[in-house]
Amino acid sequence: MIISRSLFTTFFLAFAMLTTGCASTTEQSLYDEIGGHDTLNTIYGVAITRIYNDPTIGHYFKGVPKRHLREQLVSQTCDLIGGPCEYDGKTMIESHKGLNIQERDFYILVEYVQSAMRDVGLTYQQENKILQKLAPLKTDTVYL
Amino acid sequence: MTRKILLILSLLVSSVHADSGSRLIASGGITGFEGVAGGGLTPWAFIGGYASKEEVSYSANIQYLSLNDYSLSTAGLSVGIFDRVELSVQRQKLDISSGLTSNVFALLTDGAITNANAATIEQDIIAAKVKVFGDGVFAQDSWLPQVSVGAQYKKNRDFDTSLLLPDGSAPLPNTGVPKLLGAADDSGVDVYVSATKLWLGIPNGFNLLTNLTARYTKANTFGLLGFGSATDDNATLEWEGSLALLISPTTAIGTEFRTQSNRLGGLAEENTAVDAFIAYFPNKSVSITAAYVDLGNLPLQEDSSGFYLTVNANF
Repeated sequence: MIISRSLFTTFFLAFAMLTTGCASTTEQSLYDEIGGHDTLNTIYGVAITRIYNDPTIGHYFKGVPKRHLREQLVSQTCDLIGGPCEYDGKTMIESHKGLNIQERDFYILVEYVQSAMRDVGLTYQQENKILQKLAPLKTDTVYL
Repeated sequence: MTRKILLILSLLVSSVHADSGSRLIASGGITGFEGVAGGGLTPWAFIGGYASKEEVSYSANIQYLSLNDYSLSTAGLSVGIFDRVELSVQRQKLDISSGLTSNVFALLTDGAITNANAATIEQDIIAAKVKVFGDGVFAQDSWLPQVSVGAQYKKNRDFDTSLLLPDGSAPLPNTGVPKLLGAADDSGVDVYVSATKLWLGIPNGFNLLTNLTARYTKANTFGLLGFGSATDDNATLEWEGSLALLISPTTAIGTEFRTQSNRLGGLAEENTAVDAFIAYFPNKSVSITAAYVDLGNLPLQEDSSGFYLTVNANF
């Protein structure tokens, strides 16, 4: 019992160190931290190519110019993660209304954005922070 | 019978698109030692596997926990339906060393009998979980967790299986370990509510999972030592919690606790169970989890702690 208790104490200490140890001290926005517009533009360029080629969700984007979608996504994400943009495109609800997008479709898209962030070189932490801001869009996208 | 149920279920849903599912990796947790998705020790509100609202996915698991004179092996199957319902069957097998059963007889007979065979206690668990509300992964703009309710029907198969001596005799006919220790019933139903939330990007860019489960149960040591007692047939409210940190896209570390009722007392005194685990999700088809588990007292073994290993497959 004594051995296991000290093991748990060690574990909790390690846990605490991991979660607080290397917090960033600057006030830099997440947008600036990842490299601003250029990085977002590359991420969505990579993601959109894959999304348009996906056999399950590609068809939703028929007739939507890649460039337009890319600009919209960059601007919206920039807005959400503290960048100097104000997204003024259609609301998510407007642009997804009537498409009857399934949950599965949404998850597939999220995974493309995740993998693009990884491929572009964002850290796991940056990826999660961005995902946190994008995640609530699910209710504005699915089954409308 | 449990196999039949699962077969019927799989026939019912076989027309639906089924692979490992499209939900995000690790968001199904692992299969716990009672066959229910969550941590190893406690259920979570998440539906097991990776099925979205449109999908059905299946999981299989094998698990092993080594606790010196005891060891627990368990295996089972589950199905996650439309990210709403989870159904599972699990068989648990608790092995008890002959050293330990010998001590039981030595105690009971004041040393007249000092040699008994090893014993096993098997238990079957048929469980259902239903998501009630919430989206514990994507509702990041809300404090609301995902909440599910569940029930586990547990049937101890060795409630009255006699302990045997090496010569094949049974000094205590029709008295299995649970009965011997004072349990009243061989089966019971646990009912629980789980609230689970994943905090994306918190803390410091990692993802933190928090879970709290309240369980209403008559089980003694998870039902492995039967249900209720001669003097106490009331269910009690027990608490379970999990804290897990995703330190990489494929790795989670965490810790759990689970309170127990200690209805039988004496040799079968129950303590709060705790564990610390590391889970590895190389892809959506498989996960491997190792843990250090401390159950506290088991009969005639005050410090029952040891290593746990489980492999989950999703398809």
